[in-house]
Amino acid sequence: MTISIKSLEFSHGDEQIFRDYSLEIESGKHTVLQGDSGSGKSTLIKLILGFLQPDDGEISLNGKPMDTRAFRELRQKTAWLPQDLNMGENSVRDVIYFPFLFKQNTVSKPSESTVLDTFEQLGLHNEVLDKEFSDLSTGQRQRVGITLCALLDRPLLLLDEPTSALDRSSKEKAAELLLGKPSKTIVSVTHDPFWIKKADKVIEL
Amino acid sequence: MDIIELSWWQLSIGFLILIIPAAILWWYKTGLNKQLAIATLRMTLQLLFVGYYLEYLFDYDSAWVNTAWIMIMVVVADFATIDRSNLNKTWSLILPIFGATFFGIILINLFFLELVIQLPTFLEAQYAIPITGMVLGNCLRSNVIGINDFYYNLKDNKERYQFFLACGATRNEALHPFFRQALQKSANPTLASMATIGLVSLPGMMTGQILSGSSPMTAIQYQIMIMLAIFSGTILSVFLAILFSNRFVFFETDMIDPAIFKE
Repeated sequence: MTISIKSLEFSHGDEQIFRDYSLEIESGKHTVLQGDSGSGKSTLIKLILGFLQPDDGEISLNGKPMDTRAFRELRQKTAWLPQDLNMGENSVRDVIYFPFLFKQNTVSKPSESTVLDTFEQLGLHNEVLDKEFSDLSTGQRQRVGITLCALLDRPLLLLDEPTSALDRSSKEKAAELLLGKPSKTIVSVTHDPFWIKKADKVIEL
Repeated sequence: MDIIELSWWQLSIGFLILIIPAAILWWYKTGLNKQLAIATLRMTLQLLFVGYYLEYLFDYDSAWVNTAWIMIMVVVADFATIDRSNLNKTWSLILPIFGATFFGIILINLFFLELVIQLPTFLEAQYAIPITGMVLGNCLRSNVIGINDFYYNLKDNKERYQFFLACGATRNEALHPFFRQALQKSANPTLASMATIGLVSLPGMMTGQILSGSSPMTAIQYQIMIMLAIFSGTILSVFLAILFSNRFVFFETDMIDPAIFKE
């Protein structure tokens, strides 16, 4: 899954974030985006997902310019981990299982033992499954998000600061889970040297 | 039982009681006495106007005129709903909320007036207009709660909605939790009043019927019916208002049009 961005123009209010910006995300590679705060790293992910519209320029998927339908198709092949996952007043169980109620995901609904195995790999205790999501620490919320991304098992992973609140051992486990499959196209926004070392390509914004 | 007619002179004496709340509000410098005067004047003039047009509607009693009047009430409710929901009056909201409220009220009217009460003439004014007014007043309140909660919850938790889309949800699937919360919030006040009716308060319609000479049992039968109509009407109109407006306020990319928000 190759994503090409050509001559992108995007501004937010009076601030021009991208001016004539081009980028290629290669299929099956792990691309890291890094840059100063406000340089547009998270914005770029939202542009790829079609949540923001460029003022000008083109975003293509496998060589075809993306239209509304293509954005919807892309979202069905994506697992996105936002920087701060806010899921309101819901239990972790609801957070994990709600996406598997979507028609597209019902066939891949994981068993509880699969969820708990993934939790174990990331160092989360079984009891976390029945806790309120908002009661978890930032690191625990991040690991629940990583669990969900792993369980969705999509060909495209968009990870926004996936390890910012994780310790060294959790980072290694997260890397095994998310970066272990060579067929996946992965885009990470990160400042973490550990995660940057795992990249095939690093792009400075 | 004969009703004691209230003369204009007696009614004007009734206004004197306002001296007490006005004095309390003045003493504590609440600054509300001007609003009290305006609200009292508006209430009196609006109700006098309603009294005159109801007499005309009852005398004329045509299903077409009654339907036209219901439409006017729905249009007023439509604009009030959007305004009090803190949303802008865009066509993408005006038309769907009008359609939802009108469809909801007509369905409730047809069910209760024609199937349950079985009026001798279709949409008879004496029944259709006051019952529509009561149901519509409650629909307005529930619509404001439901629509405001739905759209502002979506605005405040945009990233959660986007996260669901990025997990492969269709727009309707991603909106489901927001829809559920809006329905819960809008149903709660009516459910609470249904659960306490008769214990905490005697409802206005029932009191009015008893005062005008109906037996308490007849008044209670009508009150039960009107509560069922109000609850069904409010849930139906909130559900349809969100469902219909959703067709118009999203861009093709599934993102919401920010132009609908006042803030």
